[in-house]
Amino acid sequence: MLRTKITNRLLIVILLIIVPPTTINCQLATDGNILSFQNRLRFGNYLYYEKDYLRAADEFKEYLRSESNDTIVFRLANSYFQIGRYTEAANNFKGLFFGSQLSEEARLMFYESVFFQNDYKLFRVLAEEQNFGSSIYSKDIERLKYISYFLDNSRLPEENLVLKSFPDSVQSRLLNFYQQKKFPKYKSITTSVILSTLIPGAGKIYTGEVGDGITSLIATALTTYLAITNFKADHQFRGWMFSGLAAFFYAGNIYGSAASAQIYNARIQFNFDNEVRLFFEHRNYFLPKIDY
Amino acid sequence: MLIIGIYFFVLSFTYNLNAQTDWARWEGKETSYELTPTHHHDYTLDKSSFGMTLLSVLRNTYYFFISDLDGDNCPFEPSCSAFFLKSIKETSIFKGSLMFADRFTRDLNFFKVTDHYSLLASRKFSDPANNYTLHSAKIKF
Repeated sequence: MLRTKITNRLLIVILLIIVPPTTINCQLATDGNILSFQNRLRFGNYLYYEKDYLRAADEFKEYLRSESNDTIVFRLANSYFQIGRYTEAANNFKGLFFGSQLSEEARLMFYESVFFQNDYKLFRVLAEEQNFGSSIYSKDIERLKYISYFLDNSRLPEENLVLKSFPDSVQSRLLNFYQQKKFPKYKSITTSVILSTLIPGAGKIYTGEVGDGITSLIATALTTYLAITNFKADHQFRGWMFSGLAAFFYAGNIYGSAASAQIYNARIQFNFDNEVRLFFEHRNYFLPKIDY
Repeated sequence: MLIIGIYFFVLSFTYNLNAQTDWARWEGKETSYELTPTHHHDYTLDKSSFGMTLLSVLRNTYYFFISDLDGDNCPFEPSCSAFFLKSIKETSIFKGSLMFADRFTRDLNFFKVTDHYSLLASRKFSDPANNYTLHSAKIKF
């Protein structure tokens, strides 16, 4: 009994020691506004450095409701840029074009945001815009403009104009890309069709499908031979059946040659696009790294 | 103490109920060595038009009497019969037939090169009908 009493009293004493400070702390926490704009800015900056751009953008947006700060606007725009929301990024960078110390950097980042929206025609129109131009980063923007020609189906400008914007170390590689883009090694669909009409399978061999071409030739020749021999032997039904099959293989071979040439060309284009994109991506599109 | 003892007794009893006996462990089991089919044909009828319904019926007849018995032998994905239907649906009966004639000839080729077709996880060559419609925008690799 005595032991129980002592234990109970000890428990009460411990509770008396522990409880008051914790309640005071809770009181303090509720008094100081944890969601104050300054706290949101601190948290936003923390998230930004942790590369949690999605949540950082939300915190910055809340902060910018009360305060005006160019660095934070830049960070907000850059957060959108990093998570691929390029339209919002471009709009926010645009807000720093005039009367800001970050104007030049914002202009470059604006162009980058437009560039990564993959609307290269719009990008080139904006790149010509004098009001948006940057004095420090004009060469980078111009280089981006020439890169954009490699990434869509527009006609390439003069070779010298394109190449002079890039460093000497990549000149030969770019010249190679330029030649490939200007004179792609496509196969003619018409030639392929004419070849297959004359000799079944020849069109496919022309597009590199040698096995399919030989198969076409064998299938058409064999069924034609069987049709002729059956007609000669007065087997009308079998003669017509093999004639139908021969026509089936012959027509399929002509159509297939056209499709084969088209697929060949699409593959050339696909491989070229991939190669060019990887080349520029590995070099960060020759852009300087900007962050605040 | 008594309550705890009862609790553990009940607990061990439930464990014993689920325990595997030696008899169950070693006794003979009925085993089937029949191979389970790896492919399942889609027998649903395409009711988008009368022609497609008719073709679906023909396809199902082919599945039922030939393909299901013959097994999953087409090296392409989609199979030739599915390719035929897809190409007709995507183009017309005439163009679809030409596409099928070409596919059938390619299927006859014993020496298919993997450079021309991408190999799927099912070890079949990917050869979608939309690549052969003669619309370059529809070609996908």
